[in-house]
Amino acid sequence: MEIRVRCNCGEGSCEEWGIVELQGVVEPQPGFHDSLPNLHIGTLCRPSSQELYTFTVGYHELTGSKVPLKKPMVVLKKVKHPDGESGCKVELQVVGVIRHKILFKNRPKALISKPQITSRERQKPIMLGSSPSNQSA
Amino acid sequence: MESPQPGSRGAEALKHIAPGSSISVAYHPLFGPYDDLLLLELDEKLLPDVLHERVVLRGQPDEDAVLCTPSKTYAMKFVGTSNSVLLVPPANHSEFCENPQKNDSNNEEEKVVAPVIKVVFGNMELIEAAPRLDKLKSFLSEKPYNFDEYDVGNVEDNQESRIGLYNWNDLVGNIQASDEELRSGLQALSAVEINGYWRLVDGSYMDMILGMLLKNSVLNDWSLNALNEDEVVSTLESDGFPGVLARHCLNVYGTKVNESMPGYVWKLDEKRVCIHFAKEILKGGKRKLERFMDEWRQKVPDGMQPTFDLVEGEVLTERVGVETWIRPFSVASLPSTPADRFSILFRERPKWEWKDLQPYIRDLKVPGLSSEGLLLKYTRRTQPSPDAEPVFSAR
Repeated sequence: MEIRVRCNCGEGSCEEWGIVELQGVVEPQPGFHDSLPNLHIGTLCRPSSQELYTFTVGYHELTGSKVPLKKPMVVLKKVKHPDGESGCKVELQVVGVIRHKILFKNRPKALISKPQITSRERQKPIMLGSSPSNQSA
Repeated sequence: MESPQPGSRGAEALKHIAPGSSISVAYHPLFGPYDDLLLLELDEKLLPDVLHERVVLRGQPDEDAVLCTPSKTYAMKFVGTSNSVLLVPPANHSEFCENPQKNDSNNEEEKVVAPVIKVVFGNMELIEAAPRLDKLKSFLSEKPYNFDEYDVGNVEDNQESRIGLYNWNDLVGNIQASDEELRSGLQALSAVEINGYWRLVDGSYMDMILGMLLKNSVLNDWSLNALNEDEVVSTLESDGFPGVLARHCLNVYGTKVNESMPGYVWKLDEKRVCIHFAKEILKGGKRKLERFMDEWRQKVPDGMQPTFDLVEGEVLTERVGVETWIRPFSVASLPSTPADRFSILFRERPKWEWKDLQPYIRDLKVPGLSSEGLLLKYTRRTQPSPDAEPVFSAR
């Protein structure tokens, strides 16, 4: 059996899809299980010009960043065409390509009170292995 | 341009969040499980093949599917993740293009939304793999072309006469290999397309047609280094062989000398012709080395010099007292998957010296594994003393 991979978009114009990846499971409150469409999950915020993001879901805040995928991913859709003799002919249709994801790999921080946007300057000088070499120079 | 329009939605909004701004991530109005949506991770270099529709998935329902580009075969592996991967389609994507929510979300005021259509739990990965060609050999062995068939002539194409016959489409539908690998597999098996079906030709038929070609070359004073294709084919046809098999004979035992002239010129390949006759002699079972070499020299056409190294990978040598015997053991008859190959080799002989083993494994190709790697994985190497030849045994 052969399954052909089709693509209508052609190179260069393949639509890009997006991914938000986070640890664990997003669990809607029990009352909302049947009414997920349009339900707000969280607020994705880009505080500065860096590719750093926060994702606020309920009372939790996640901190993460936009990362390029090591290898691109294509989004494939299984399509069944009615076929004369033997029922169905299956094809895979390329519907998109993914090159980046916004990844939240840390555990969420509980929001007790609204945290102020901290300045990031304090974090910059902390670099691994930098201080010993400074000393010796 | 970078910042999304107010009210914009979809993957674009996610891609271009302006510094200092935020968007809402929400379930898509058409959120669902969408089992028909798959993510496939692939090398950047394979992307053009995918986008230009040059890849295909091959396999029977009971086999693990492989993905084939025009030249290579990749195993497909599902890699799961315990993370939640929220998949956001582009806003204008035809299938998930929801009608703009009119007034029911008015209170949210043109908020930028990235709608999640599905939560995915993993993706497919590709691992370069060797083509699975063993089935090709067994398919084509079902009904080799032989004398009887030619006597019957071209039978009508009915269902019964088609049993055991495979055309190109049958092969690509059944064999997990890329087109290019399948073609070289057919060539390695010396298969030929006859009336639209790919066939192996019975060994004794090939022997007969080669014998007739050599006889004709003596009669007509042809040089075996410059055989005119048209002449050879028409002579063999008048001897009662179909033209397609006459040409096949040139293909199997010869090489084209010039490509450009009308009417190709062929040169018989000494090695292939000699191996053919060695195999014919050994059809009768094992032989004493000296007797075999005598018989062999007599059988090959004048001008060809059979040397023992030509039958590497075709025969095994055994010492019995002072005598050396050889018997047929052809690498072509062995399976192409390393585990099966080594298991048969070690059943045949528990211990192998490198020079004996090498002809039986040099054709094994496993992407990502060198021949040293293969030996490490499937054999135990022992060396009785530092200057002795290493010996390989089963792990």
